[in-house]
Amino acid sequence: MAEAKRIELSPADKARFTRDTLPLLDSLYASALRMTRNPADAEDLVQETMLRAYRSFDRFEEGTNLKAWLFRIMTNAYINTYRKKQREPKKVSADEIEDFDLYQELKNHDDQFSQTPERIVLDSLVDTDIIEAIDDLPEQFRLAVVLSDVEGFSYAEMAEIMDVPLGTVMSRLHRGRKALQKRLWELARDRGIVRSSRDGSRGA
Amino acid sequence: MKQICRETLERAYLLIDGEPIAEDETLSIRAHLEECTPCYERYGLEVEVKALISRLRGAQPCPEALRHRIAGLIEEA
Repeated sequence: MAEAKRIELSPADKARFTRDTLPLLDSLYASALRMTRNPADAEDLVQETMLRAYRSFDRFEEGTNLKAWLFRIMTNAYINTYRKKQREPKKVSADEIEDFDLYQELKNHDDQFSQTPERIVLDSLVDTDIIEAIDDLPEQFRLAVVLSDVEGFSYAEMAEIMDVPLGTVMSRLHRGRKALQKRLWELARDRGIVRSSRDGSRGA
Repeated sequence: MKQICRETLERAYLLIDGEPIAEDETLSIRAHLEECTPCYERYGLEVEVKALISRLRGAQPCPEALRHRIAGLIEEA
């Protein structure tokens, strides 16, 4: 990468690249953090993404979605370069996810909280709890949840970014949210915000 | 859970996520949510959880040093 050849972009294109992409660095960095789960790798990933984008900017069609284009480059860079050194996320079985029902768990605690139990539970979770819960998700779920709920991409944009069919996007998002809700619930329990309704459901 | 509830909640994600959806489909989802309290509450919960996650937007901005380094690399490229 160090001896990368000079790129022939006209001064106008270079200015356009800088003007249009630099404002997206906050979004790219925040998502890189969720992908790599550590700041040093996230910085490397964003830098690599921006250099790749610059080198292929002549192939970007003006007027199309620049943010989705950058995210697609970053997702590919992550998969090809950084994923190999990632620690395996906690394994979550598919059945465990499908069986979890946050609504029912909250209902079961209704005797403790006479009013809107979800408000009490959700309001007690701080940003670091949410980050911890997302970072514990399997990679594909993590990415789907971040792209949709944090970055606000549409299903179609996510299909392009993750290079999968629309139905796969929806199923990853659905299962990702279930898994996330399960993890948030467990965190609320660990914090003593709610009592365990089924003792023994989580090993000591 | 009843079939109609399961199906409605699945389609309700399209509303929650702001996906394009036909008007009559929106109406049929809303009609069920209005008459079925558990579905209405579940829908509300999903909206709240999504809002909770979206709080992370902008919570961890790009470090200034990285922004400058990238701007410099592009300048020199």
